[in-house]
Amino acid sequence: MSDTPLVPPSSVVLVSGGSRGLGLAIVTDLLDAGVKVAAFARTVTPELAKLAEAYPDRVHVGAVDVTDLPAAQAFLRAAEERLGPVDGLVNNAAVGQDSMHTHTSTADIARIVETNLTAPLHLTRLVVRRMLGGGRRGRIVNVTSICAQRGFPGLVAYSATKGGMDAATRSLARELGGRMLVNAVAPGFFASEMSAVLGSTQLDQIVRRTPTGHLTEPDEVVPVVRMLLREHTNINGQVIVVDGAASV
Amino acid sequence: MNELSRAHIRDLMSQVLANQGRTLPDDDAADLREIGFRSLDFSELALRVEDATGEELNFDAPGLRRIATVGDVLDFLETLQRQ
Repeated sequence: MSDTPLVPPSSVVLVSGGSRGLGLAIVTDLLDAGVKVAAFARTVTPELAKLAEAYPDRVHVGAVDVTDLPAAQAFLRAAEERLGPVDGLVNNAAVGQDSMHTHTSTADIARIVETNLTAPLHLTRLVVRRMLGGGRRGRIVNVTSICAQRGFPGLVAYSATKGGMDAATRSLARELGGRMLVNAVAPGFFASEMSAVLGSTQLDQIVRRTPTGHLTEPDEVVPVVRMLLREHTNINGQVIVVDGAASV
Repeated sequence: MNELSRAHIRDLMSQVLANQGRTLPDDDAADLREIGFRSLDFSELALRVEDATGEELNFDAPGLRRIATVGDVLDFLETLQRQ
């Protein structure tokens, strides 16, 4: 048997994009599980602020744009002073897309890549450096998308970034040699703002093709994220699709 | 730049190994494979040096592949600090 110790369950988790939708659901679920959570987003919504009030000893929130690395770094340091060393990261912050590639401005493509790919790579580097430097083990969950594996019109740049994060997940798991578990969760389309980029005809088609008969809900994704952060499994470098077999 | 001495780096290296229940031999010629000092341990050591000096140390993988002994690690980090 290897002498590599198991990676313990994460007890202090940093969640990017934690103010609404799936991110907020992840924050809520982790708090319910007794985990300490540091969550940031461009705007602290009333829902996130309410959680911070409800769990003053276990939540640290802030308004941070994930593309602002110095701000993210300052947030992380403040969160660690308050909650203790971070040993879990959920890269959830992302921007969507609703435009044909030929009609998407180059500035918008750059913004999507910066937010969905460059920023999470920078944030991951930051967190891994702190964990490694402190001799700690930890877990990382990247929230990607079924778009990384299947084609959908109007989501070219978005899909490219999610595919990039899936690829980074595998290489990082290898690079970190078992000292950290790195996985991705790839939800299907939510019946929420991210799915607003698809027309009703496309959504109806996806529902018809889904054996479970419904679009994915955030509540169906959070148990998978929690498992990857908290349970003793040997899952590492994987992308777990949560889409009711729509893509199978 | 606040440069760490070879002895200080050796002490940090010893701490990295001690956290894993291992001991750093006194002999600089000791083989890293035999003492179980892997590339991630090197990363942890480099980050500890960064923490102590306040300077970020970036380096490419090929340079690391030439490192085989405890002395190589100390040489590498001493040189890296001066760049």
